[in-house]
Amino acid sequence: MTTGHYQLRLYIAGMTPAARRAIENLETLARELGRQGEQVEIQVVDIIERPQLAEDERILATPVVIRKLPPPIRRVVGDLSERERVLVGLDIRPL
Amino acid sequence: MTTANPETAATGIQGLDFLLQGGLPRGRPTLLRGGPGTGKTVISLTFLCHGIRQGENGVLVTFDESPEALIRHAAGFGFAADRFIEEGRLRILDMRPDRNEVVGDYVELTAVMARIDHALQKTGAQRLVVDAMDVLEGAFSAEISLRGELARVFDWLRECRTSSLITIGEQEEFTTRYGLEDYVADCVIALKQDLDHRVMTRLLRVVKRRGGGHGTSEAPFLLDGDGIFMIPVTGSVLRARVSDEHFSTGIPGLDAMLGGQGPYRGSTLLFSGQAGTGKTSMAAAMTVNACEQGRKVLYISFEESVDELVRNQLSIGADLRRHTEGSEADRRLILQPVRAVELGLEEHLMRIMRSIRRHQPDLVVLDPISSLATRRTGDSAKDMLLRLIHLIKEAGITAVATELLTDDSQGVSHLDVSSMIDVWIKLRRHENNGEMNRLITVVKARGLPISSQVKEFRFTDQGLVIEDPYIGESGIAYGTVREARQSEDEQVIEQLHTELSRAMQRRHELDEINAAAERLARAERDTRALDIEREIAGIERRLANIQRARSAISRSRQ
Repeated sequence: MTTGHYQLRLYIAGMTPAARRAIENLETLARELGRQGEQVEIQVVDIIERPQLAEDERILATPVVIRKLPPPIRRVVGDLSERERVLVGLDIRPL
Repeated sequence: MTTANPETAATGIQGLDFLLQGGLPRGRPTLLRGGPGTGKTVISLTFLCHGIRQGENGVLVTFDESPEALIRHAAGFGFAADRFIEEGRLRILDMRPDRNEVVGDYVELTAVMARIDHALQKTGAQRLVVDAMDVLEGAFSAEISLRGELARVFDWLRECRTSSLITIGEQEEFTTRYGLEDYVADCVIALKQDLDHRVMTRLLRVVKRRGGGHGTSEAPFLLDGDGIFMIPVTGSVLRARVSDEHFSTGIPGLDAMLGGQGPYRGSTLLFSGQAGTGKTSMAAAMTVNACEQGRKVLYISFEESVDELVRNQLSIGADLRRHTEGSEADRRLILQPVRAVELGLEEHLMRIMRSIRRHQPDLVVLDPISSLATRRTGDSAKDMLLRLIHLIKEAGITAVATELLTDDSQGVSHLDVSSMIDVWIKLRRHENNGEMNRLITVVKARGLPISSQVKEFRFTDQGLVIEDPYIGESGIAYGTVREARQSEDEQVIEQLHTELSRAMQRRHELDEINAAAERLARAERDTRALDIEREIAGIERRLANIQRARSAISRSRQ
């Protein structure tokens, strides 16, 4: 049994309703995964405050969650309301 | 910063700026639409890089091509985009959608605006290009809120006060869906490709221009490794510079036929004639002479290859090759072969004009100009030739065109461009007793006292020689016939001279006789007059005697 350490970064563009939902959905998901023994670290970045980061990450659409670690990098766009889609998108397979 | 018009941002593409009366609307968005390969990216890059050169920094947003490809592209047209980036004058924002990204609901496009805004502020850019914006829709097509988000981006672009150029593919739905043409853009330019007679022509049309007139007709343009070139076709006006200077043809006899000093500089000469009448030789002789005078000549050969032309002309004493040597800047003669069939008429026109602009020649030779027209029917060929001649004239450049007349043409020109020709010279063959002679006539020469006589010309070691024909008792004669006719006539002359002196003698004798008769008659008249005078005098004397006697008698009676 391998235990992953996930580092997820959520980019939002201002605290919009979609951004708020994305944060909630991602935190819920992290708690679930935590209960299953996965370590999930979440970082929220507002690109309006740090536009250069949006440039560096080549972000077009927000909210977007990027799996920074472990590689490979995975990205999921939207309010992250579809749990299964998010898990597939981020390639996280809870055991 | 050198901006001629504060209302416009010049694209740096001459013809387009002319069409747009200065350039794109300053501080406003312009929409550039066209299918793949119509030249959207090249126009955008030129607009942006030209601006940077003029001191207006730029931001380029790409949704389709990689920044590396765009930098290479720009470098191909002579713009050092990589250096502009290093100097902080240009920023390229890579907005190519990540195809591996998983897309869910409620996508927002604020990031697009935030990134553009950030780049505009960092560079202090006044120009913005958003290339292939429609790709964005495809990337998030499943998303329900996308339309609203895209509309928000367009609204933002409309308000962001940069001179921006948004390019999209030829998608009617896309432009109407977001009100791009009606609401967002102040100026709309459409590009397309037209296939006619299997020849492709690129066309540009200014569909809309808020607050300014625009040409609605389609303007053809050239797009290749040298970038974009277009001619303000609808805008051309007659403003050819008139010159009093003469441009010697270098053919003494021809200059003499044209009033002594040759045609005016900046005029257009046309040599018309059937095959083998010496049209190309005339053009080559003028070319060599101009080169020897230190002038620059652009010789466009539509039928002969450069090698053929050089060899054929050398055989009759015109050394073209000598003037083609050296670097492009030093060379006096630029020989440019053009295969008439390969390209469309418009493309020919533009290529010729581009060469003229590049080489800045004093003389342009189009040999033969008729090859552009022969394979096509209708007015388009004539129209194109008229425009070509007009444009050359407008540039104040002397031009020599040759026209091949078909054997059944009976010497009538089919080009119908004579209204644009200043000096029209016809060359003819004269066949007699198995010999061919070449004849030359000046049909017209604007503003020059011309010789209306048909003259003969020959190729000699010293080049072309124009001679007066022999005009004898049985008409004009040329060549060896001329010589034969001449000796034949000499005998006649001798005979006539003898006859003439005889007749003169007879006339002299007659004069003598007449004079003698006259003297005799006068003597007779004098004698008779004298007799009558004597008679009168006698009668008067007798009357007087009688009168005297009567008065003596009457006195004695008193």
